[in-house]
Amino acid sequence: MTNSMNDIRNSRGVVVWGENICTSHPVAMQHVLTAKERGAKVLVIDPRFSKTAAFADAHVSVRQGTDVALVYGVINVILANGWEDKAMLRDRTYGFEVLQEELKKYDLDTVSDITGVSKADIEMIARMMAENRPSTVIWAMGGTQHSNGTSVTRSFCVLQLVLGNMGKPGGGTNVFRGHDNVQGATDLGVLSDTLPGYYGLAEGAWKHWANVWGVELDYLKSRFKDDKMMGKAGFTVARWYEGILMDKAELGQDENLHAAVFWGHSSNCNSQMDRVKKALEKVELIVDIDPFVSNTAVLPDRTDNVYLLPASTVYEQYGSVTNSNRDIQWRDQVVPPVFEARTDLDIVFDFADRLGFGAEFAKNRNGPWNRDKAVESIAAEWALGTRSIGMIGQTAERLIRQREWAHVFDRDTKRAMSGPVKGEYWGLPWPCWSDKHPGSPILYRNDVAVMDGGGGFRVRWGTEAPDGSTLLAGKGTAPPGGSEKDGYTLAAGYAIDLTGKPIDEALAKGLSPIGNGRARINAWNLKDDPVPKHREPIHSPRPDLIPAWATYDDVKDHFRVPTLFKSLQKPDWAAKYPVILNTGRQVEFEGGGSAERNCWWLVELQPEMYAEIHPALAADKGIKHGDWMWVESPEDLDGNPSKVKVKARVTKRVPANMIYLPFHWGGSFEGKSLAAKFPEGHVPYGIGESANVVTNYGYDRITQMQETKGGLCRVMKA
Amino acid sequence: MASTKSGARMMFYIDTKRCIECGGCEVACKNENEVPWGVSRIRVVTVGEGEQGETNVPIPCMHCSKAPCVAVCPVDALFTRGDGIVHVNKDTCIGCGYCLYACPFGAPQFQKAAPFGARGVMDKCTYCAGGPEEPHSQRELSLYGSNRVADGKLPMCASVCATKALVAGDAAEVRDIMSKRLAQRGSSESPWGWSTAYPGA
Repeated sequence: MTNSMNDIRNSRGVVVWGENICTSHPVAMQHVLTAKERGAKVLVIDPRFSKTAAFADAHVSVRQGTDVALVYGVINVILANGWEDKAMLRDRTYGFEVLQEELKKYDLDTVSDITGVSKADIEMIARMMAENRPSTVIWAMGGTQHSNGTSVTRSFCVLQLVLGNMGKPGGGTNVFRGHDNVQGATDLGVLSDTLPGYYGLAEGAWKHWANVWGVELDYLKSRFKDDKMMGKAGFTVARWYEGILMDKAELGQDENLHAAVFWGHSSNCNSQMDRVKKALEKVELIVDIDPFVSNTAVLPDRTDNVYLLPASTVYEQYGSVTNSNRDIQWRDQVVPPVFEARTDLDIVFDFADRLGFGAEFAKNRNGPWNRDKAVESIAAEWALGTRSIGMIGQTAERLIRQREWAHVFDRDTKRAMSGPVKGEYWGLPWPCWSDKHPGSPILYRNDVAVMDGGGGFRVRWGTEAPDGSTLLAGKGTAPPGGSEKDGYTLAAGYAIDLTGKPIDEALAKGLSPIGNGRARINAWNLKDDPVPKHREPIHSPRPDLIPAWATYDDVKDHFRVPTLFKSLQKPDWAAKYPVILNTGRQVEFEGGGSAERNCWWLVELQPEMYAEIHPALAADKGIKHGDWMWVESPEDLDGNPSKVKVKARVTKRVPANMIYLPFHWGGSFEGKSLAAKFPEGHVPYGIGESANVVTNYGYDRITQMQETKGGLCRVMKA
Repeated sequence: MASTKSGARMMFYIDTKRCIECGGCEVACKNENEVPWGVSRIRVVTVGEGEQGETNVPIPCMHCSKAPCVAVCPVDALFTRGDGIVHVNKDTCIGCGYCLYACPFGAPQFQKAAPFGARGVMDKCTYCAGGPEEPHSQRELSLYGSNRVADGKLPMCASVCATKALVAGDAAEVRDIMSKRLAQRGSSESPWGWSTAYPGA
């Protein structure tokens, strides 16, 4: 998120595009409702008439996976009317001409045909956003879980740049992260292609962290086969299981995987669950670290080498967590771990010791951690190392002090009005450049000083683009109070100098350590789509559009596995599987649901897995509300269709050509209960079929995020 | 209407423009009061699902000022406290079910309802104010649930409401909150006073 949840209160327009706030982030909905009460227009763009759509001034139903086309239709209307922010485009962006070239393909008739949105509605969206500035654009998995998801989310950013909504209170591009502390997890590098702080995996990144950790670079190198593997992105959470199933020759590494360790991850969140099941049957060792017995433990048909390690819940451990908008908060332990549960850190230490690197693991350049105060040691370590994003000034002392003074923070600006925290922003959102810096709740904001949370676009790609254009921002765009008035480059070495000198010097001159650059509309390093492009989903319900809007070429070594695009985009899927398959959340549950389906009160509200089906489709298939029905999906990689048996929930929430499945369920597989496979006394109160058994093959070209928001299926009465 | 010394008159106000049907109130109530499966002291009803105008309404006991349940109870098990909270005395209740038919909101709950079987005594939302027993006694807890009001706290459902759609408290304060919201919305509605806890009631 560039802006904060609270900042939605300052919006004049709230555009919710591929996110169901009422269901996925209910607590955040208060800010949307407050904005609405203050006169903001609320627009919901979603194939379904979601619970959030019920609160909108207008709801637009867009066909799944066609968001880039719709954004471009809207931008074309904006440009035709001269509603664009010309100064923003001229002074703070790069590559607008390349975009204009691409936009020519998206006249309103074409966009309307692709998206299923009427020309009047496309114009309405453009007018509503132009007349109600600043508008925020909010999305979640509806924007990302597509084979061109990176293009979709980038197109939202482009739209906000065109409208001049970036770097302003009430504006911004705001993707709501889906889990507690998931932003903190990515900030600290729980990804296969980067070290903490988004440093990447190049040798310089390893050197920096070796320096922070107080270990020799050679020692780190000795843990890998060779330098090439050390710098190579690993498997992703979307397709790790292919590392078990596929032939070694097909993989981007020499060996198959021998063990699968799950740590607070639910395997029923993976699409292609029939392949996950096979992988879990083939792999030699499974370890599941979780407070509850998850679907992972019961899915595979095997009786040995599955180890369940009881982890403690958030209430049994303490430390910092980072929310969706980069606020860091300090949490206390409520109770010590119950029964035989152990804290995550305790388990990590035990693993590190037994695997023989405990001493190197639990230390940094300042010496060994105090293991009884390991949380504090780690907080000090990231404050030292994650300089790239300015996660520096959020010390435990400041975070704990903020909590004690929570009542003095203003709800609209998030800034403390009095007390010892006066001037600080709640949660010290990064970049927070020093222990005197207040944090930056609104990124790229150039109308306030750097020491008030201001800054420009980061000069991440050098000062000059390959075509010779400058990547430094234009005249008069620097945040006020600095020695520079125009664009300027970043402070050399700011991300790796552990003395903090480059950062301190920049701040002393009123400059942002990351410089004042331009947002790239043309990202030349993204070879296929340097500017976003519409591409039909792998399983497109409109085969007639595939020739003109085809997906990508297949990729051989994509996070160490081959990922198919064109070779699976078969025009004949749609005839056999004519119904669009959509998945998402239920408000009562979260993620794989192993915690929530073990909660008596929540299961009473949602006792059974179901499919939302429109009355017209239900009538066609002879299905009544509450009937059992089958949802079947294409045969994809292994030649066998997959199916789930679920209850019919007949509702007008879904369009007539769509089935919607909540994805939190587990404990049943293709019509058979797995209840008997749970350890005695551990069967969840709620078990049901996993939606991801039938979600289709398809992955984002850049990130490999699974395409669970645009597949095909067919339905029949069970 | 009898009044407490402070003159407080506790009420719920349901802002149907804000309820998102997250179910937080239902779960918080169950957890706070250990309400058994099948009994709903509060439930969220959605009207017109999937269509323009879809509206969610959380429905607890409205603690009506002229409570019809109190009027029809043949054994005077139901009564209105000085602060406006309507309670049932489970020792007196005979489980006849008159209150269920009299209540416009479906607030009275019967745990053991079965054809021709015993209905059991009535259970309903207590406004998290326990019941006619010694506050915080084991007997109060097991018969009626928690007593937050005795500690100066609001009912659990309203306390956890993410969008503050369910507003609880003294009538004067609730009216102030709602007046501000309605004025901001430019709404022609006016907040209901405590004499009509719910439109049409």
